[in-house]
Amino acid sequence: MSFKLTPIALLVMALYAVGVRADDADTPMYSFSGYGTLGVVHSSENKADFTSNASKPNGAGYSRSWSADVDSLIAGQVIANLTPQLTAVVQVISEQNYDNTYRPHVEWANIKYQLTPDISARVGRIVLPVFLVSDFRKVGYANPWVRTPVEVYGLLPITNSDGLDASYRVRIGEFTNTVQGLYGQSDPTFPSGIGTLKAKDMWGIAYTGEAGAATAHITYLKTNVSIDSFKPLFDGFRQFGAEGIALADKYDLSKVHLSFISLGAMYDPGGWFVMSEWCAIDSKAVTVKRHAWYASGGYRIGNFTPYLTYARVKADINPADPGLTVSALPPFLAGTAIALNAGLSNVLRSVPVQNTVSIGGRWDFMKNADIKLQFDHTRIDTGTIGSLINIQPDYQTGGKVNVFSATIDFVF
Amino acid sequence: MKRTMPFKNCIHLVVVGLALSLSAGVAVADVVAVVSAKNPVTAPLSNNQVVDIFLGKTGRFPDGSQAVPVDQAEGSAAREEFYLKFTGKSPAQLKAHWSKIIFTGRGKPPREVANGIEVKKLLAKDPNAIGYIERGLVDSSVKVMLAQ
Repeated sequence: MSFKLTPIALLVMALYAVGVRADDADTPMYSFSGYGTLGVVHSSENKADFTSNASKPNGAGYSRSWSADVDSLIAGQVIANLTPQLTAVVQVISEQNYDNTYRPHVEWANIKYQLTPDISARVGRIVLPVFLVSDFRKVGYANPWVRTPVEVYGLLPITNSDGLDASYRVRIGEFTNTVQGLYGQSDPTFPSGIGTLKAKDMWGIAYTGEAGAATAHITYLKTNVSIDSFKPLFDGFRQFGAEGIALADKYDLSKVHLSFISLGAMYDPGGWFVMSEWCAIDSKAVTVKRHAWYASGGYRIGNFTPYLTYARVKADINPADPGLTVSALPPFLAGTAIALNAGLSNVLRSVPVQNTVSIGGRWDFMKNADIKLQFDHTRIDTGTIGSLINIQPDYQTGGKVNVFSATIDFVF
Repeated sequence: MKRTMPFKNCIHLVVVGLALSLSAGVAVADVVAVVSAKNPVTAPLSNNQVVDIFLGKTGRFPDGSQAVPVDQAEGSAAREEFYLKFTGKSPAQLKAHWSKIIFTGRGKPPREVANGIEVKKLLAKDPNAIGYIERGLVDSSVKVMLAQ
């Protein structure tokens, strides 16, 4: 059974939404809302691009001194109340896509059945509830920072699931506990030759506990991921005897089984907030295995909220692994081995290992809109390119990058 | 007991009285959370229980019956006072809170009515509803569930 969301399925959902009337006179049949961000970003590193997530083809630094593509987006959402129990939601976003267009795409589209006020099930495209703010990470207005910390939120490049989920909420004393289970698949596309990533048999369970101003979140997720574009490289290694097979077994990320775990907590009594998250990916392929965390806090002075964040991502990898021993090979194979080693080196150095200190401020200057300024100082570990993209030949791996961002967020 | 008041003290009293009446005029009326007198919920609710209903974290009263929150108009003094006093959140923070919920399709903000009198009218019709009104509007048709 496949849960892939097709345009036809969306059309059926839309037609169904038009055909059914809400029988609760007090609830409007449709509600429309939207959100957006207009932002500019400058990076001190001009031999590579800084960007906000892996699906963007370029950003600030090399491609543009000031880039509006990193954070800018606009989204619209329609909720249709079909019956008091049945609602349909479609959210469409226009942002810089992997192919450098702003063609709108469906962020999520699902039908929810609310069995009781505490039990609900959804079918369609659903956000993966992997992080504390996964559900609304693109809604700048709902977040304290310019963007979610790239070290942590970039760890898992899959953000949606086409499938189903069920959620159960139970209140024990003053604790609200929500457990969510999901099953589905996803196939996001990435730029720079990576192409489409296919995540299949994805299942996960998430727990959220809330008590007063405190929130805790735990997620466990398992999936089989394949990225066909890496297959030729590692198939190549497997042609080189025991040494090649060992390297492929260690690094091959074209077909992996991965498990993901995250823990997060937040405390927001109103006048200030602190939050922290830790997450890790485990897999047989060390190129996928990594862990990350951040801690952030802010203090509200009227409509102004200064904040400070530290974020770190680490991997157990040696980016300087030489690969195949070329000197032991006959000359007619040496050329291929050198090419494979170069390919491996590219994979290894792009496993992000870095830390960032961010300092910024949010100003709620009017109803429904805020202005944010943020300064990030990133230290990239030796031999790696961190989360930078569009690496130019004269780029020196490791080093420090300063990034300045200014955004206006709004909801309507 | 000395019955005459020195002139200086009189001035003091007038100034203090003026300040008091001024501050009373500026300060918003005392706001309390109420349900319909017909609602079987008896025990007063805790601050967190009321807050969780109004922030969409629960849809039930502690006895398990359905709870439907009702807001007063956006920008009204009663609304700002209620949320600031009980949740510590400013109107901007509440807007951000509901953005989180709306843009995940997980819920919607409470239904809105114009003022405290309208809240009482709605409570009379819907025994599951919970609202907040100025203390002066409290009468036999409602039960006070939370006051501070």
